[in-house]
Amino acid sequence: MIKNPSHPKKSVRKVKQCKFTEAGLEYIDYKDVETLQRFTNDQGKILPRRVTGTSAKHQRQLTTAIKRARFLGLMPYVAENLR
Amino acid sequence: MTVFQTENIQSKLMNSYYELTYIISPVLEDEQYPAVIQRINDLITSKGGTVEEVEEWGLRKFAYEMDKKQTGFYVNLYFEGPATAIESIERAIRIDDEIMRYLTLKYDAKMKRHKELVKKNAVPEVFPVIEEDDSEEDK
Repeated sequence: MIKNPSHPKKSVRKVKQCKFTEAGLEYIDYKDVETLQRFTNDQGKILPRRVTGTSAKHQRQLTTAIKRARFLGLMPYVAENLR
Repeated sequence: MTVFQTENIQSKLMNSYYELTYIISPVLEDEQYPAVIQRINDLITSKGGTVEEVEEWGLRKFAYEMDKKQTGFYVNLYFEGPATAIESIERAIRIDDEIMRYLTLKYDAKMKRHKELVKKNAVPEVFPVIEEDDSEEDK
């Protein structure tokens, strides 16, 4: 979000909005595997904030939700099988 | 003296709302699952809790192998009870051989509000469906 003003590419790229704030979602449920999988890459890793544009607060909630889902076997820890 | 009495009454009414999700081993017969679920429900009520809602998700495939098994019988339930009961409930679940994993969560006001929305099917969509190409890659 905080861009370097002296970067060679001074033109500001469109700031990504947090999807959860736009939707107005208060609590990110670990049972909602469909949504949670959109925030992991094909290896099963959690995508960073600067890629998804999520706010800090929702990123923390998202991380705990994904980790709970992984513990209960709803999401994989490592998903290499897509290769 | 009256101060102590009110404190006792308040501690008796300190009930919190909890969610418990647990996985039963898939090797059981179809008739044995209700027995396990009933056993857990009775366990909760015997410790002073009231079971609000029980949801059986049934046999689901795991995302990874767990205890050399590929599927498990998921049960999701909500109950209200005193905070002191949780330890004994979890201990009993841990001893139980047929329950592979469990997760207990204490619900605060925000989560309760979200649960009400889920019940009414009014959860806001994080990814609204647009007419353009939906790249939905599930797994």
